[in-house]
Amino acid sequence: MPRRCGPSFASFGAETSLVAASSDFAIRADNITRDFGPVRALDRLSLEVPTGIVFGFLGPNGAGKTTAIRVFLGLIDATGGRAEVLGLDTRRDGAAIRSRCGALLEHPGLYERLSAGDNLDFYGRAWRVPRRVRQERIRELLTRFGLWDRRDDPVGRWSRGMKQKLAVARAVLHRPDLVFLDEPTSGLDPVATAGLREDLAALAAHEGVTVFLTTHNLNEAERLCGQVGVIRGGRLLAVGSPESLRSRRDSGRVDIVARGLTETIVTSLRARPEVHSVTVHDCRLTISLSSGASIAPIVAWLVQNDVGIEEVRQVRATLEDAFLELMSVDSNGAGTPEDASRDA
Amino acid sequence: MRDIWTMVWKEWREFRDQLLSLRRGGLSALILALILGVVAPVQLGPDWVNSKLVIGYWPFLAATMVSSLIADSVAGERERHTLETLLASRLSDSAILIGKIIAAVIYGVGFAVVNLLIGLVAVNVTHGEGGLILFDAQRLVVTIVLTILASLLMAGIGVFISLRAATVKQAQQAFGIAIIVITMGPLLLFNALEYETREKLIARLAAVGETRIEVYVVTALLVMSTIVIGAALARFRRGKLVLD
Repeated sequence: MPRRCGPSFASFGAETSLVAASSDFAIRADNITRDFGPVRALDRLSLEVPTGIVFGFLGPNGAGKTTAIRVFLGLIDATGGRAEVLGLDTRRDGAAIRSRCGALLEHPGLYERLSAGDNLDFYGRAWRVPRRVRQERIRELLTRFGLWDRRDDPVGRWSRGMKQKLAVARAVLHRPDLVFLDEPTSGLDPVATAGLREDLAALAAHEGVTVFLTTHNLNEAERLCGQVGVIRGGRLLAVGSPESLRSRRDSGRVDIVARGLTETIVTSLRARPEVHSVTVHDCRLTISLSSGASIAPIVAWLVQNDVGIEEVRQVRATLEDAFLELMSVDSNGAGTPEDASRDA
Repeated sequence: MRDIWTMVWKEWREFRDQLLSLRRGGLSALILALILGVVAPVQLGPDWVNSKLVIGYWPFLAATMVSSLIADSVAGERERHTLETLLASRLSDSAILIGKIIAAVIYGVGFAVVNLLIGLVAVNVTHGEGGLILFDAQRLVVTIVLTILASLLMAGIGVFISLRAATVKQAQQAFGIAIIVITMGPLLLFNALEYETREKLIARLAAVGETRIEVYVVTALLVMSTIVIGAALARFRRGKLVLD
């Protein structure tokens, strides 16, 4: 786990006396449900986010990601179940939780008439960061994000990318123990997205803070997150490292580039018991193997049948492949919350 | 208390930028200050200082200034998407709400006091004739107390309405209606009374005496402000504000 680079300013807040003993988990949710009238936004969500990691919460629009953040910050109560953030109960200790967290929510939430310096100064004051420390911290963050030279301009004149960076700076200004970033790169162009992603990675490594990041940018999640959870319709479909989620999809898919493939060979291949399915594109075979099967006997059989093998490659699924598979499984009604615990 | 001042600091930064920008309201404030602080005192002369109407004039001016910006207090944060971030901070409900009220009251009372001082200088320069024209001390104290309380009541009503309004426009409309009801309501009720009853009431008020009426008005404003601000605090629910 990365080391923290400074004291937690949350300790300057009065509420910190409520803080419970340290925990291995920054967030623990146990069967939380949240209904909005007839709509169930969170459906028996159980989740454990270890401290010190970047956790990606993935899901399509309306999956329940923002609602989960609101519950974790104690802004709204869960209809059922229980959640603890930094060892504190979200229903009872909302104020204490907020005093130890930072957040970039759905919108940057910046005061556009104020300068960047004033925006950060206000939230620094709100978290009772001492004046001198606050000024140093503002300078440090604005410099790190490349915004120092524009610190006196009203934020309303800034580009969207710059505003997002400033909002991230505001979220970590008081060195919180946990930061919620709700789709921080949403609406940014690819260059700004890549820039902010790099900044986030550096920030997470440098500050040693636990980051709870919601996104539907799977590339971003794959690069930034130590663990990811996939949510849809308020239900957690899977949770684990990006590698473990990809491996769901990886199992038994092999690409073979070959010469001399005939219809007879492909038909024979499909009939073999260890082969689940075969697709052919020009001279590329994609073979999906049955569980536990090995590709070696199939390659040997192809060689015996005068097929010229040029390349054999295990297909590495991306997180996007795994995500899309989870989405399709769920929309077919096969996904259950129990799947999540299996993956975990 | 420190958190309340943090909130006041933020609100004032926004007012300051608004006032310094002629396009965003600075010009209208400047024109108003010129008319009320210079033109009216110069025209009225010593009457501007000695008239009993002073007691009602400054509270009215301060309340008007408060009303010009208070509808924006929460609805504006909601409209500009800054409310949820503010609610996710460590600031308490009361710090946010009271901070907004105090900032608006300081703005209204400050505007009135600055105009009063400018007016006093203008009257003395143009009509002083070697002597000093000053307000009666007791009347000045009562005026300032009434100015603060009228601003407080106006700010309380404005925040209460602004808490649930989806947009600033909606808050301004509801606030306008509330002000009409509050100011015109008692007059309409009074006019609805029988002629003899009205005469009796006027006679009774005249017999009460000026000082006692001032005490009644101060008490009434204080009670109403307390009730309205208490209601606004009770209405301040983070969960509802986030979802509205």
